[in-house]
Amino acid sequence: MSLAIPLLLAADAACEPVKLSDWHNLLAVIWDFLSLSLFSLGGGNTLLAEYHSIAVHKYRWITSNQFADIYALAEAAPGPSSMIVGLLGMGAAWREGPLWALLSGIAAEAAILLPSTLVMVVASLSWSRFKDSPWRVAFERGMGPITLGILFAVGLKILQTADHTPLAYGVSVLVCFLMLRTKISPLWFMGLAGVLGGLGWISRY
Amino acid sequence: MGELNTAERPLAPAPSLRELFFGMLQVALSAFGGGLSAWSERIVVEQRRWMTDEEFLTGLTVARLFPGPNQINMAVYIGANFRGLKGALVALAGILLVPFSFLMLLGLAYFYLHEVESVGAVLSGVVAAAAGMALSMGFKIAGQYVRDPVAVVLATCVFLALNNFHQRLIPVILVSGPVAMAWYWPRRGRAGARP
Repeated sequence: MSLAIPLLLAADAACEPVKLSDWHNLLAVIWDFLSLSLFSLGGGNTLLAEYHSIAVHKYRWITSNQFADIYALAEAAPGPSSMIVGLLGMGAAWREGPLWALLSGIAAEAAILLPSTLVMVVASLSWSRFKDSPWRVAFERGMGPITLGILFAVGLKILQTADHTPLAYGVSVLVCFLMLRTKISPLWFMGLAGVLGGLGWISRY
Repeated sequence: MGELNTAERPLAPAPSLRELFFGMLQVALSAFGGGLSAWSERIVVEQRRWMTDEEFLTGLTVARLFPGPNQINMAVYIGANFRGLKGALVALAGILLVPFSFLMLLGLAYFYLHEVESVGAVLSGVVAAAAGMALSMGFKIAGQYVRDPVAVVLATCVFLALNNFHQRLIPVILVSGPVAMAWYWPRRGRAGARP
């Protein structure tokens, strides 16, 4: 069920026959990320709910709680939070050992970045011809409201995944409010909430 | 900021692949505490003089418009502009190397330790705060659409399709995208419903 099993079998091909179904499996996973790449509107966070459904429901690599943890790690770590795909890939192959998990993480990240990067290269090089085209104008204006709708759905999904107690919901709503009204770095909120969690004041259930 | 000074200084010659890599690496390292976009501008425009402010802003527009993470797209734009596909991949490697390696280490630590009780306790707090960040994303951009009823209807339909009718993201975009593009297609004589 994981990314790495077919790779592992390929490495041990001498003693273990490679099942075609496993290769199908690997290709299916890579295809999932490759095909999502071009639908990452608004910077990539629009894909979070889709990642949840792939990793938790479709392939059952990780639990819903682990997904929430991984999302929090990706937000807290420096760099774009869309690197969460690397962590999902890691979770997918964790049972096969840390080395496979690492390879699988890198492969997943490469798969999600490859198509959008290629499109971006073409866009960068042909922008001057492109920029006054009605297609560009319609795309830019049209995708805005769609991104808005997706982001609300994603926000709600993450909220339901992460929070199971009234207190946790309260913390989330408060952080949301502070994110909108202040310029305080979200790292402070996560740090403080982490301390409260460590003290046992915010628990998952 | 010293805009006048920067504007008067001549641009540097086009960076080599090696310079692209290390420039983007510098951006990623400087931005370790956050503010990737600001650091990228400071290093690419002010320090290294690869681009003018205007060219940089054009790049940001392209990066936001096309699919993919904005900051990563920006690196691709810079690399592609100077050295084509090779430049794009080198810039991508430069901007990703350090933060991605760090994240992978964090991930290894997580998968080893997440069953430790105290780690789980801390994470249960962090997760609640992070969920608040996710919730704020929609509100953050909502302001620019509230006066455009068509945008509100579109956003609501997309939200309901995903959240209430459990449709998958790709078909939702493939259906709603063309509808939205047709509505917002630039037409003469209509003082567009532009937000």
